[in-house]
Amino acid sequence: MSSLIQVQDLGFEFEGKTLLSGIHLEVQRGESVVLIGPSGEGKSVLLKAMAGILEPTAGQVLVENKNLYTATFTERTQIMRRMGMLFQKNALFDSLSCGENIAFPLREAAQYTEAEIQAKVDFFLNEVGISHAKELFPDEISGGMQKRLGIARALALNPEVIFYDDPTAGLDPITSRKIIDVIVRLQKEKGSTLVAITNDMNRAYQLAGRIGMVVDGGLIVTGTEQETKAHRDPRVHQFITGDLNGPLTAVG
Amino acid sequence: MIALAYNSWVGSLEFLALAANTLIRTILPPYRFRDILRQVVFVAYESAPIVVFCVSFAAVVTIIEASFHMKLIIKNDAMVPGFASLLILRELGAVVSALLITSRVGAGLAAEVGSMQVTEQIDALRMLGMDPVRYLVVPRFVACVIGGFLLSIVANLVCLYCAMMVSQVSLGYSPGSFLMSMRTFVHFQDLIFSSIKGACFGAVIPLFSCYYGFRCRAGAEGVGLATTNSVVSTSVAIIIIDFVLSWLFTHFY
Repeated sequence: MSSLIQVQDLGFEFEGKTLLSGIHLEVQRGESVVLIGPSGEGKSVLLKAMAGILEPTAGQVLVENKNLYTATFTERTQIMRRMGMLFQKNALFDSLSCGENIAFPLREAAQYTEAEIQAKVDFFLNEVGISHAKELFPDEISGGMQKRLGIARALALNPEVIFYDDPTAGLDPITSRKIIDVIVRLQKEKGSTLVAITNDMNRAYQLAGRIGMVVDGGLIVTGTEQETKAHRDPRVHQFITGDLNGPLTAVG
Repeated sequence: MIALAYNSWVGSLEFLALAANTLIRTILPPYRFRDILRQVVFVAYESAPIVVFCVSFAAVVTIIEASFHMKLIIKNDAMVPGFASLLILRELGAVVSALLITSRVGAGLAAEVGSMQVTEQIDALRMLGMDPVRYLVVPRFVACVIGGFLLSIVANLVCLYCAMMVSQVSLGYSPGSFLMSMRTFVHFQDLIFSSIKGACFGAVIPLFSCYYGFRCRAGAEGVGLATTNSVVSTSVAIIIIDFVLSWLFTHFY
């Protein structure tokens, strides 16, 4: 059985500097993959390249064996409608209320009646526990609620693959844990495929089936929680222990 | 120097690609009529007061200055109504209204799209399977073409009316003699050409604004720079297009 997403020899250059090169990754249907790594190493770039919104300068991204960046506009749009994404800064539409943020993709990209849209909005707001914020605007709710709203919007079109770009950034440990609980529960309920970025190892273990570390322009697939903890690469070991001394000290 | 030339070349190609994409999506369905109508109200209806106010003063200045200098040099300002009407219909109405739309609509649009780019809202649109050009650019493009066309007509008529009033109050020409003098110099096709200019000027405003908005870099400075660049580029483009169209239209007389 072929992988759902295949990243083949992916490279990315930014202003003449190589950020990523020779990245290979295969994501199976229903799998959870978490990307960890020091800041500025290209995790978000890799995630966006996999999601089809940032074209790599080398290599290819295949979704069900179809190259995302050479597919026709219609094919690519169809593929991307099967994906959802929570952005690092949430990317909520600030001119729309919380309810309208979820209703917007339902109105634009699917054919639902207004009653069906409102029912789905209420359902997703309830799923992430912010039903009371339906009429509020994104800047009127807390960071944790914005994350939940972002998750609800990402899930609105019932995507098969969901990308989470640092879903717990800037949140306190308890809220972070609740957010990850919501993400894991919804993934299990819907059987979706998950690719997430986090720098919090506890949350990475909570999320992951498989962990990969983006460092020095490459990707080290470290495996499960136990395999990651026992990994021999000193960069992986330093990152998960948070040790100040080691090969990563000069990074960032 | 080579890097600058290369970047300018790449930037020009990207702008042309955006313009071509916008034109194709304007022609092909689905059409976002509700968004277009909302934008037409914003661009044309809500810009009308400021355009009317500014071109009124421009008309007053034009007629008074023309009269002053004609009296100074040829001791006679009998041709002022005709010349002023010609200047208004050929240049003033369309260009001034386009520059006003640029500052009111174009700057706001560049800042809006730039902010959306910085906060990843453009990426979010793509992830929701929506085309940012169709969703953001096309309604504003159509609205600015319609707005530029309509506002140039309004600006010309208001300009001529104000010029006629000032001629009567300040220079002593009756409305009848003003209109007689005007008919000697200008024709109905001048109003048509002016409206075509207005539509063309309107077309470039959202293209430059969205182009710089999409390329916006992070931070308040990035949004500010995108806004500045869009206003400057649009203004320069309007002046150049005005020259090209004026030259083209001379072949129709």
